[in-house]
Amino acid sequence: MAAQDIVFWSAAETAAAVRSKQVSPVEVVQAYLDRIDRLDSKLNSYITVCGEEALAAARDVDASVSRGETSGALLGVPIAVKDQFWTKGIPTTNGSRVYKDFVTDEDGTVVKRIKAAGAILLGKLNMAELAMGGTQNPPYGTPRNPWDLERTPGDSSSGSGVALAAHLCAASVGEDTGGSGRGPAAYCGVTGLRPTFTRVSRYGMTAMCWYMDAAAPMTKRVEDCALVLGAIAGHDPNDPFTSRRPVPDYTAHLKDGVKGLRFGLIKELHENEDMHPDVKVAIEASLDIFREQGAVVKEVSIPLTTLGGPIFVGIADTEGAGARDEILRTRPMDLDHATRTRLQSAALVPSKVFNRATKARVLLRRQFVEALKDVDVLVSTTAPFPAPLHTALTASFESADAVRARFFFRRSYPGCYALTGMPAISIPGGFTSEERMPISLQLGAGPFAEKTVLRAAQAYESATEWHTRRAPHAG
Amino acid sequence: MALSKGDRVRELARLAGITIAEDEVEEVATRFESLMLELERLNELDLSDIQAPMVFPDEEE
Repeated sequence: MAAQDIVFWSAAETAAAVRSKQVSPVEVVQAYLDRIDRLDSKLNSYITVCGEEALAAARDVDASVSRGETSGALLGVPIAVKDQFWTKGIPTTNGSRVYKDFVTDEDGTVVKRIKAAGAILLGKLNMAELAMGGTQNPPYGTPRNPWDLERTPGDSSSGSGVALAAHLCAASVGEDTGGSGRGPAAYCGVTGLRPTFTRVSRYGMTAMCWYMDAAAPMTKRVEDCALVLGAIAGHDPNDPFTSRRPVPDYTAHLKDGVKGLRFGLIKELHENEDMHPDVKVAIEASLDIFREQGAVVKEVSIPLTTLGGPIFVGIADTEGAGARDEILRTRPMDLDHATRTRLQSAALVPSKVFNRATKARVLLRRQFVEALKDVDVLVSTTAPFPAPLHTALTASFESADAVRARFFFRRSYPGCYALTGMPAISIPGGFTSEERMPISLQLGAGPFAEKTVLRAAQAYESATEWHTRRAPHAG
Repeated sequence: MALSKGDRVRELARLAGITIAEDEVEEVATRFESLMLELERLNELDLSDIQAPMVFPDEEE
């Protein structure tokens, strides 16, 4: 087995190869470390590479396999996590100078659980500062999109998107407050899942917005997403919000197809005239694929989705500013310019406005629940246009219209699921004809319907080849 | 006399207990103005019968 092939395996393929002793975990980890060493100086996806620790863990897995202990779903799979997850003895910077020396004496629950499933922690991934998005000068280097180095990989789990698209890890766990996992997945042409709000513990995941933060499996394939979710989901006494519902086997019936499932295209998100035309065509083509596979496809109306961006920002930024109050008071100049001005503006929002946004959130959820009486799966894109150029995102805001265009519009697409607490997945859905940049398809469903979402995504992935293409700047 | 955009932001920041660098007041004011404009769109909604729960318990559905 050539080392250059190992890194292109899915997580499921990697675990199977380790389990069957086709390859040793040490070989797998070394293949990734060599590739990181070769490519990441230009991509900046990692903040910390845990080389020695990963090789030591690989040797432990190797010994387990020799003893016949091969049950872990992620056996020997090198996983890198967003640098927002606590890792014992390893810095958790949260993408900020403020946290450059922040080291915990325990792993967060997600990290504990992926390790318990046999995964090997390969490193900590770059991210937008404080998981907010829009960082102008990231203190740990600017993450570059492997499809076009001049374009953003998306925020805030930027390193996760880059590392997966460049095959610098086998799988990742990002974090998705309002699209921070699905957004980079969309821009980088990989898969990202936001689970139901209470499905995965947030203990040991630095908070951005307490009532919307969600750990987000990010992977090369849909099946890998199911494996990672299965490993990290479930009640955690350290996070009292986590559901006590049993965790199903997310891989069971994954490949059963979509015959009989009802799909609903969200009319208001799809008809937006600012959407890139190639994205619109790709979403409509996806409906044809589901229809051909025996699904029922219709259009559904969820009027408040068009205000998802402002509702989300009104809640998440205001809450985020409150959570960062001490930093804003005592050391604002240690923050990136964009983070600082965004938090400062949110800190000024009157409480009555915040309260109104919170109520609008409840109304939006009602509309989702109503729509889901008629369909099983909701369809839209994750991102209404391909990844913008870095230069388009780093200029200072000069008018309210500029803020609206850059800040609010795109957030409505992923933001609605964060607001409603419902699961949604972003998967590769094609490429734009001019820029040759990834297009994304977003599939959502009701609370705890991750199996339905994954099954629909798997059906689309099996019928297309977008996920097999390799980014030009990924070696 | 009405406050300028910048003076309004300086006053709100003072009340919030934060200090905005003088050369960033204009940008913060633009961001704040945009945020408030977007959130004003919510005034069109009838939210009179809505109580705001803080979490969505999984028993709900």
